[in-house]
Amino acid sequence: MCKRMKSFAVLVALLALISAPFVMAGGQQDSSAPAGDSGQVVVTIAAGAVGQELELTKQAAAEYTKMHPDVLVKVLDTPDLSDDRLGLYLQFFESQSSEVDLYQVDVIWPGDMAEHFEDLYQYPGMKEDAAKHFAPIVQNNTVDGKLVAMPWFTDAGLLYYRTDLLEKYGFDGPPATWKELETMAQTIQDGERAAGNADFWGYVWQGNSYEGLTCDAIEWLASNGGGTIVSPDKKITINNDEAIAALNMAKGWVGTISPKGVLSFGEEDARNVWQAGNAAFMRNWPYAYNLSTSDESAVQGKFAAAPLPAGDSGKGAAALGGWQLALSKYSNNKKVAAEVLRYMAGYDVQKMRAIEGSFNPTIKSLYQDKDVLDATPIFGTLYDVFVNATPRPSTATAPRYSETSKIFFTNVHDVLSGKKDAATAVRAMELDLKDLLDYPTGSPE
Amino acid sequence: METTSKSLVKSEARLAYLLLVPSFIILIMIAFYPLGSVFVNSVTNKRFASSQKTEFVGLKNYKKLLGFKVMVLPPVIDDATGKQKFDPETGDAVWESPLDVLPTEPVRYKELSQFSFMGAQYVIGATDPDFLQAVGDTVGFTILSVFIETVLGLAVALVLNSAFKGRGFMRMVMLIPWAIPTAVSSRMWEWMFASNRTGFFNILLDKIGINNGQFAFLVESSSQLWVMIAIDVWKTTPFMALLILAGLQMIPRQIYEAAYVDGANKLRQFWSMTLPMLRATLAVALVFRTLDALRVFDVFQIVFGANRYSMASFAYYQLVDNKLMGYSSASSVVIFLLIFIFDFIYIKMIGGVDSDA
Repeated sequence: MCKRMKSFAVLVALLALISAPFVMAGGQQDSSAPAGDSGQVVVTIAAGAVGQELELTKQAAAEYTKMHPDVLVKVLDTPDLSDDRLGLYLQFFESQSSEVDLYQVDVIWPGDMAEHFEDLYQYPGMKEDAAKHFAPIVQNNTVDGKLVAMPWFTDAGLLYYRTDLLEKYGFDGPPATWKELETMAQTIQDGERAAGNADFWGYVWQGNSYEGLTCDAIEWLASNGGGTIVSPDKKITINNDEAIAALNMAKGWVGTISPKGVLSFGEEDARNVWQAGNAAFMRNWPYAYNLSTSDESAVQGKFAAAPLPAGDSGKGAAALGGWQLALSKYSNNKKVAAEVLRYMAGYDVQKMRAIEGSFNPTIKSLYQDKDVLDATPIFGTLYDVFVNATPRPSTATAPRYSETSKIFFTNVHDVLSGKKDAATAVRAMELDLKDLLDYPTGSPE
Repeated sequence: METTSKSLVKSEARLAYLLLVPSFIILIMIAFYPLGSVFVNSVTNKRFASSQKTEFVGLKNYKKLLGFKVMVLPPVIDDATGKQKFDPETGDAVWESPLDVLPTEPVRYKELSQFSFMGAQYVIGATDPDFLQAVGDTVGFTILSVFIETVLGLAVALVLNSAFKGRGFMRMVMLIPWAIPTAVSSRMWEWMFASNRTGFFNILLDKIGINNGQFAFLVESSSQLWVMIAIDVWKTTPFMALLILAGLQMIPRQIYEAAYVDGANKLRQFWSMTLPMLRATLAVALVFRTLDALRVFDVFQIVFGANRYSMASFAYYQLVDNKLMGYSSASSVVIFLLIFIFDFIYIKMIGGVDSDA
């Protein structure tokens, strides 16, 4: 009897032990109740904290409170990693928490999260505001005719290249097509290796099996006329010859002009190779620009950024990234929060952030603003890249974008690593997407 | 007299139960309630953070998680020769594509893996190959890493148990890997396994002339699991060693002296005395490590993300990225049952040790 009791107790203890991780934290509210001064309305922004982000947001928040003494804008520090931040937001939504009034959301989230956000068009001045921003981003943030988030800052894929090496090997400008990039990269790589740098590579990019690969691969596809996996009018378009050709082209880079290890590269891995002076070309986001000009960088003063090369379509394509501001449905002070949002995403704050933190504005006219151009000259030359960036199909596939992207990047990764041929991969993707989304198939326009 | 002692026993027992009540209430709150709600969620299509109505779907989630089929891949026949085609480059036989062979209606089976047996080619199709692979990976990871950790831990403990100068210092130093948070050590190892000559292991390979220092440890599916095992072994061997060391120190010195007088050599002492007396300690250490390893999350999540899952990181991705709360719950239940089986075996083992003592 006693022994049985004992093993039972051990069993119960073990059960408790192993079940602990399945217990999802319910609310995570460290409910510091709105603690403004007498009668102050408190508006809380959940904002990013990468690099200078948090500092600049706090600065803008303090500025707003100075102008409107009856409103206290608080900034909530959220995790750096997009996935962790998503987890935190979902917990707020699940408990319909009014803790946060404004959310900073990734460009791929508006479709998925639309039901938790207010239609901004209901608030005065928003329509006019939205018209000043880049149209593709506003389109991306529009779900069933409702504007669920206002663009805040944008990102788009860029081609970084070594001006000194291009000159050394007799090329007079960045490549206009992928073919040219291949030739240049090979020539420079061969030359630099012969000159003694065995670690030199022609082209580095993001090949790990993750969302970053979806961005890179959608650029190959779109520049080649291969569409964007699922078209905006909800047709599965991935199974086409242009997409197959684009994937085969990228597969050809692995082990020739790009290291085999590129298949485990994220943004920072590519930047490390590049910044050590070991690559002729790099595909990356604008954030790498300022870092590459820093004193520790081996490429300081020897590089420039250009639009990504074109494929058979004759046009280059850049994946659209960036962050938006959205107004929570569960906010207690929607009217005031909407005004704060207008200010935060407005001209002055975007200008301040562009100058002090090189965050790419989403307001078109800022690309002609002299102060902005003086601070970050590439903004001027790359205006077309930002204005024409290609969105991922996150709104068309909502709320299943995450699974769509996973199907896409795992199959692309299989092609790059030689596990599948491109034709089989696009067929598999088409079948998987039909299964997941139940959309008809079509061809990219 | 008889009756008083009986009633005394009864009231003592009642008091004992009474004293246990708070712990049971806490257990129900922190263990059974959430566990129960996971069970309930697992038979619904509940989405996380969504106002969409939740419906009862029965065992659909489980069917999708665990569904698999083994099918024969017919050979591709070359029209010219009437025989099976061979790949002109690799010389391998060509079989029909699993995409054409595996059923797509009413649910699609995706390729999990292929194998050949008696000259025929087979494909294993699964409705969710990611999950089955995660289960296989996690169990493989658990068995291999716990085995290696136990053997190494025992060796380290034996060394630390012998008398030598600086033993105290060694015991302290040994614990460093265990003290470093997994998030930090995972990143550290990820960098050491970098795919070019910036990574420690590629520098080593390069020095001995293998692969030009360009081996992509984190990409090749053959090396991925070994990377995980290496990180885990490095981190938790100290823990094993510590537990075993404690067990070793409970063995009285005198019996070794007696054995020495009787003429038993060191090896004989180890097999006939040390190991049997360590049995209970080893069993406890194994329970801890096995259950821990089955729940492994952080190493996989940090190094591989959605690239290759452990069981726990699979459940995490289904919940947070895909917001499929019902499906994620079902996978958690399967994980729970799997761990429960391991538990059961171990508890039997501990029980056996108890009755011996």
